Amino acid sequence: MSPQVIVNGLLLGGLYAAVGVGFSLVWGVMNVINITHGSFLMLGAYVSYWLFRLYHVDPFLSLPAVMLLMFGLGYLLQRYIVNAVVKTGVFMTLIITYGMNLFFVNLALLLWKGDYRSVTPEYAGTGLQIGGLIIPYIRLVAAVLAVVLTLLLQLFLSRTRVGNAILATALNKNAAQLVGIPIGRIYAITYGIGAALAGAAGALMSAIYVITPFMGEPFIGKAFVVACLGGLGTATGAILGGVVLGLAETIGGAIVGPSYQEAISFIVLVLILIVRPEGIIGRRFFAEVK
Amino acid sequence: MDSTAARAKPLTVAIRTLRSSRWAQWGVVGGLLLAAAIFPLTYSGYWIRLLSGMFMYAALASSLNIMVGYTGYADFGNVVFFGVGAYTTAILMLKVGAPLPLAVLAGGALAALYAMLLGLPILRLRGHYFAIATIGVQEATRELVVNATSLTGGGAGLTLPIPDLTPQQFYRLIYYLMLGAMVLVVTVSGLIRRSRFGYGLRAIKADADAAEISGINTTWYKVAAWMTSAALSGIVGGIWAYWYSYIQPPDAFSGITGVKYFIMTLLGGAGTLVGPVVGAFVLELISETVWSRFITLHLGVLGTIIVLVVLFMPRGLVPMLREGFKPKAWWKEFQENWI
Repeated sequence: MSPQVIVNGLLLGGLYAAVGVGFSLVWGVMNVINITHGSFLMLGAYVSYWLFRLYHVDPFLSLPAVMLLMFGLGYLLQRYIVNAVVKTGVFMTLIITYGMNLFFVNLALLLWKGDYRSVTPEYAGTGLQIGGLIIPYIRLVAAVLAVVLTLLLQLFLSRTRVGNAILATALNKNAAQLVGIPIGRIYAITYGIGAALAGAAGALMSAIYVITPFMGEPFIGKAFVVACLGGLGTATGAILGGVVLGLAETIGGAIVGPSYQEAISFIVLVLILIVRPEGIIGRRFFAEVK
Repeated sequence: MDSTAARAKPLTVAIRTLRSSRWAQWGVVGGLLLAAAIFPLTYSGYWIRLLSGMFMYAALASSLNIMVGYTGYADFGNVVFFGVGAYTTAILMLKVGAPLPLAVLAGGALAALYAMLLGLPILRLRGHYFAIATIGVQEATRELVVNATSLTGGGAGLTLPIPDLTPQQFYRLIYYLMLGAMVLVVTVSGLIRRSRFGYGLRAIKADADAAEISGINTTWYKVAAWMTSAALSGIVGGIWAYWYSYIQPPDAFSGITGVKYFIMTLLGGAGTLVGPVVGAFVLELISETVWSRFITLHLGVLGTIIVLVVLFMPRGLVPMLREGFKPKAWWKEFQENWI
C-alpha cells in the first residue's frame, strides 16, 4: 500500500464530508431524505463556473456567493414546497425531492446544454511534492475548506441561538414548538443550510471534476453513505464518514482494481449498517425518535 | 348522508358503488381484462408497446408493494431482482439453450434465493437503514455483473437469441406475457393480503416489536415477503430481457427504473391492492404523452407532476379516491399538513 493511496483517500474523504454533511443535517433534523441535494451540488458548481468564466473569480473565492444563493433557493423550496408534506412522512418527502431534482437537472440541461465544462485556474495541475508524495493544490485546498466548513457548521449549531433552535427541533419538534420555536422557519433554514453546503461542495469540486447537469447524481449515493457511516446530523460524524468512505474507495480500488470501487464502498456501508446501525459515532436520538 | 348521496356527482356515485359492491368490482376488473385480452387483435404497433410497458411497470410496482406497502420496508433497490431475473434468463437461454418459460422461472427462483441470502443480514436493519442497504446491494450487484465478463458479457452486455417470429407476433407475445405477469403478481399480492401471512406482514409494519410478542416470527415473515417480491420482480425482469433482446448492466440494474416504480407504488397508494397498478398506468401514460410532446422538457415536466401529486395527494390516488371525489376536503388536508 503506497502512502500516496492513503493521501488520495484522505483528500477524497474531505470532499465527501462536505457532500455528506448537509444531507446528513437535513435528514437528521427533519427526517427528509433529500434527493435534491445532488442538484444543489450541481447548481453550486455551475455558479462557480460562471463566476470564473465571466468575472474570473477564483473557484474558492466564489464560495460565499454560491452558498448565499443556494441558501436562498433551499429556504424557499422548503418553506413553500417541502414544508407542505414534511408531516406526511419520509416516503413522500423523498419523492417530492426526487421530483425537484428532476426539475433542476432538466433546467440546467435547457440553460447550459449537456456540454462538459470545467474550471481551470492557473494553479490547476500544480501541487506539493513531499518525498515521493504528490498533493495537488486544488485537491488539498478543497479538502481543507470542506473540513473547515463542516466544523463551522458544528460551531453554528452548538453556539448560536438559531443553531440551538435547529437542534431542539431535531430532538422534539412538538416540544420545540411549545417553547416558541417557529419550526416551519427553522425547517426552511435547516434546508437552506443543507443546500448551501451542497452548493459549496459543488463549487469546491468545480475545479476537480467535470461539470455537467448530471454531475450531482453519483454524489447522492455518496452522501447517503457518509451520513450513515458518521451518524445523522453530526458534523464531526460527516468528516469521519467521509474519510472512511474516501479511504475505503481508494484503498479498495488499489487492491481489487478501480472497477470495483463502488461495490467496495457499498459493501463497507452494508457491513457497518449491520454492525452499528446508528453509524460509527452517531447517537440514536437524532432522527430515530419520531 | 343518503340525501346528499342522491345529489352527489356521478363520479362520487361511481366511486361509492365500486367501493361497496363486490359485483361491481369484479365486473370492472373482468371487463378491463377482457378488453386487454382482445386489444392486440384490433390494434398494433405503438399502443401494444406502450401497454406492454404499462403492464410491466404495474407488475413491478405490485411486487414492490408487498415489501413497501404491506411490510413497511422501503426497498429502494428492488430493481436488483429485476436485473438478476433478466441476466439469469439471458444467460440460460444463451449458454444452455433453455426454453423461455423455464429460463424466466429460473430467473424468478434465483432472484428469490438472492433475496433470502441478502435478507437474513439486511432485514435486521430497520427503516432508512434498510432502504440504504438495498441501494448499496443494487449498486454492488451491478458492478459485480459488469466485472464478471465471462458470464455476463460485462459492460458490452448480452444479446439474446432472436425469436423465429414476425415482429407483429413477437410484440403480441410480449404483450400477453406482460399482461400475464401483471395478473400473476396482482393475484399473488391479493392472496397474500387476505392470508394470515399478509396480516402478519401488516402487523410488522404497524409495530415490529408487538408483532414479535404476539407470536409472529418476524424474521421469517420479512424474508418470505422479500423473497416473494424478488421472485415476482425476477420473472418480470426475465420477460423484459426477452423483449429487449439486448441487455446491459445500466439498463437491467437501472436506478431510474427502480425509482420510477417506487413512485408509481406510492402515487397509486402503497398497501392497497390496485393502487400500484393505477399508479403505474397513470405515471406511464403521463410520462409517454410528455415524452412525445416535449422531448427537452420531459424530466422537468415529470418532476413537476411528481411534486404536484405529492403535494395534493400525499396518501396516494386510490386511498383518496376511495372516499369519493372531494377536492375541498383534500385542500383542507393540504393546508393542515403545512408546517
